[in-house]
Amino acid sequence: MLALGWLAACASPFDPDERLSFEAPTRAQVAGVPLIKQEDFFCGPASIAMVMQWAGADVTQQDVAALAFSPGAGGTYLADMIGSSRRLGQLATEISDFDQLLTEVNAGHPVIVFQNLGLGVLPVWHYGVVTGYDFDKDEIYLNSGQLDQMIMEFAVFERTWRRGDYWGLVVLPPDQLPASADEKDVLSAAAALERVSQFKAAETLYETGAAEWPDSWLWQFGLGNARYAQGDLLGARRALRRARVLDPAIQEVRANLAFVEAELAG
Amino acid sequence: MGILNISKKSIAIVLSAQLILATQAVTMAQAEMVGTDAAINKYTALASRNALMDEMQRADVQAEIVALGIDPIEAEARLAALSDAEIATMLTQMENDSAGADIVGTLFTIFVILLVTDLLCFTRFFNFTRCVR
Repeated sequence: MLALGWLAACASPFDPDERLSFEAPTRAQVAGVPLIKQEDFFCGPASIAMVMQWAGADVTQQDVAALAFSPGAGGTYLADMIGSSRRLGQLATEISDFDQLLTEVNAGHPVIVFQNLGLGVLPVWHYGVVTGYDFDKDEIYLNSGQLDQMIMEFAVFERTWRRGDYWGLVVLPPDQLPASADEKDVLSAAAALERVSQFKAAETLYETGAAEWPDSWLWQFGLGNARYAQGDLLGARRALRRARVLDPAIQEVRANLAFVEAELAG
Repeated sequence: MGILNISKKSIAIVLSAQLILATQAVTMAQAEMVGTDAAINKYTALASRNALMDEMQRADVQAEIVALGIDPIEAEARLAALSDAEIATMLTQMENDSAGADIVGTLFTIFVILLVTDLLCFTRFFNFTRCVR
């Protein structure tokens, strides 16, 4: 069965026309993603550090590891990749297919991918950062924890990523939006920043989302909540009033506005 | 006399309902702020449901449903009975089955019709649907 799957996979090289539902450019490259040589078992934290340094943050793989690494497992769980990015104030959204991966790379965003570099029976789990690709050369480029860039044929990358269930993570500062996520994904990621008490980052993300989706009251509602959590009552009231203008019927908006106004009055 | 009784009763019910709502609103305002998470979950689920309901109202969908021998009102009632989680699951399955393409237009219409026929035991397209006949 395994051998059959292997042969079948070998027989079909990656065909962009067949695998993608949009016309992706022949090549794309994200500039300025640093190569960080990972410490033992730190591919997860190193990946996040690379992406955050690319965005301008001053974060080391040790900083990330303290929030993400599980020493007992000798690795980093998917959930901790997401959680640590959020605890560092980043917008983290998951992706799950080639469409999203190449959409992000074309939007100029590096993408963390979860791969099994071994086989199903002998897994070698690994996180790498996809920084570019070239269909003509049949190559996909990764910063993969060594000092050199890793170059993989699409078919090989496809197999290693498929064994990781096509899991990928876009980690961005909260003033930028992923190209492949919908409004609900970004809203949930923003609310998750509130949950880990990253209220300043949540506030920025709600403002970013409000600019992208100006007709949706939920962004102003979240903005009001994030400002309230930081003690900015006047800012919270401004946002909640805007939410009420966008949809006067929402009880939650009225309740929170009344709450903030009561505190301002008292 | 009888009518008067009933109307008094219903006025009382309306009034007490208003009272409860008013009390709740006050408690809501006094206890703590409503979290963003809760609102997102509630209202984005609502949006998915509304999108399905809107699709059901389209003339071609209605015609298709009638052609299949299904009462549109019953179809709508079945759709309304789905939980938020079921609607989310179904939308995910739609996305997967359409192989990454955006679900728009015709494809979405077909899925909605399949959903209705599933619920009325004509088909068994979606994994979670249980027919109620």
